[in-house]
Amino acid sequence: MSVVEIPLWNLATAYLLLLIPLALFLYLGAHRVRETLVSVVRMTVQLLFVGLYLHVVFELDHPGVTLLWLLVMVLVADASILRGCGLRIQVFAFPLFFAILLGTILPALFFTFLVLRLDAPFEAQYLIPIGGMILGNCLRADIIGLQHFSENLKKRESHYLLCLSQGASRTEALRPFFRDALQAALGPTLASMATIGLVSLPGMMTGVILAGADPGTAIRYQIAIMISIFSGTALTVFLAIHFSIPRGFSPAGIPHPTLSKSS
Amino acid sequence: MNSASETLLEIEDLSLRVGERTLFEQLCLRISPGERVTVQGPSGCGKSSLLRAVLGFWPPTEGTVRVGGEVLDDHSVWHLRLRMAWVPQEADLGPGTVLEALDRPLAYHANRRIQRDEAQLRSWMGDLALSREILDQPTDRLSGGEKQRVALLAALQLQRPLLLLDEPVSALDGDNRARVAKLLGQQKDQSILAVSHDREGLGLDERFLHLGELG
Repeated sequence: MSVVEIPLWNLATAYLLLLIPLALFLYLGAHRVRETLVSVVRMTVQLLFVGLYLHVVFELDHPGVTLLWLLVMVLVADASILRGCGLRIQVFAFPLFFAILLGTILPALFFTFLVLRLDAPFEAQYLIPIGGMILGNCLRADIIGLQHFSENLKKRESHYLLCLSQGASRTEALRPFFRDALQAALGPTLASMATIGLVSLPGMMTGVILAGADPGTAIRYQIAIMISIFSGTALTVFLAIHFSIPRGFSPAGIPHPTLSKSS
Repeated sequence: MNSASETLLEIEDLSLRVGERTLFEQLCLRISPGERVTVQGPSGCGKSSLLRAVLGFWPPTEGTVRVGGEVLDDHSVWHLRLRMAWVPQEADLGPGTVLEALDRPLAYHANRRIQRDEAQLRSWMGDLALSREILDQPTDRLSGGEKQRVALLAALQLQRPLLLLDEPVSALDGDNRARVAKLLGQQKDQSILAVSHDREGLGLDERFLHLGELG
């Protein structure tokens, strides 16, 4: 393995690149300079802490600690989605948590158990980065899917009610809203799969190449992770909506008037 | 006064409030099989909300709704809705063509025993001055009047004993109003509860009630 280390002083020079967007913001009068600096500081501090935690988790390499770390990541993702979609914590926190957890853990364990066939499938070095990549995509897909579902339902509530009046069960009346939300949420991942390698080199492949593996190995990792991400996002969006429905609707099938904080 | 066993719809002391606003209070109404009632009142007096309460879409603040003698609640609402068909004022017929909008309800599990009579459908379309070409048109390209008539077709094909009509002729011209009235007049087995702000009503041999006078 031949990874070139980045000394701290060299890393500091990377920050010089920020002068380009900052100069552009100032030139165009875009009020994003303060926001950019805050984001960069947050990113640096968060990643330093994550690096520290991961160092400890990798040193321990205990399945319990690895799963606990993944649970914490899922909890943070849960809170991010609730905030990002403006959804009520009381209604959506638990359903979302379990949807993200299953959408992340199942494909990640499939990857380590059946694709990599590791002797220790809970090995932190594999499970955490693979789980993290799937989770990051689940988070984005859940935000798109839930927003699409709730906004579409609000916009076309009269059609939903018409379906109920015509004898549809709640599941039958919600099926088109479900389908549209799933299509919207999976759109970015599908587009990314269709163009991968042509317009950009994906993250995992780049990481594996930088770690010294040959491109053939990197491509195999990338194919497996893309399929895992796509399956995980489909599962998590379906479950997020499916688990939320009982809490978001009255027993008579009427959407709860306080689904979102803004309503 | 009809006995309870002969009453298709019975509304008893129904009150509906939205936030701080009271739409109506202590509302009572009975509709027998085959009877036609038009509830009148100015815009915003709660006419549409009355129909929505009957469908279980808005839980009443007080009072009860009975359909065929059975109290409408969170559980019974699912099978009691199968005794009603609703034509909303501005129907959102959903995505797809008019034919898909008419086929969709027949695909629901609860309606699996309903077989559409194609000759009957064509006859109703003729009665409502709807051409056969309209079946292939996307629903979002229909005019307001066409949407109302297609929504009425969708309701009629379900063969429910009670039709709930929300301003069913509000977007129609004089000729089409007469066509709708004639077609509804022919549905002798069905009861009708219509709401309208129009003093002329539907032009059926109907009982008129003013929302402020109910009780």
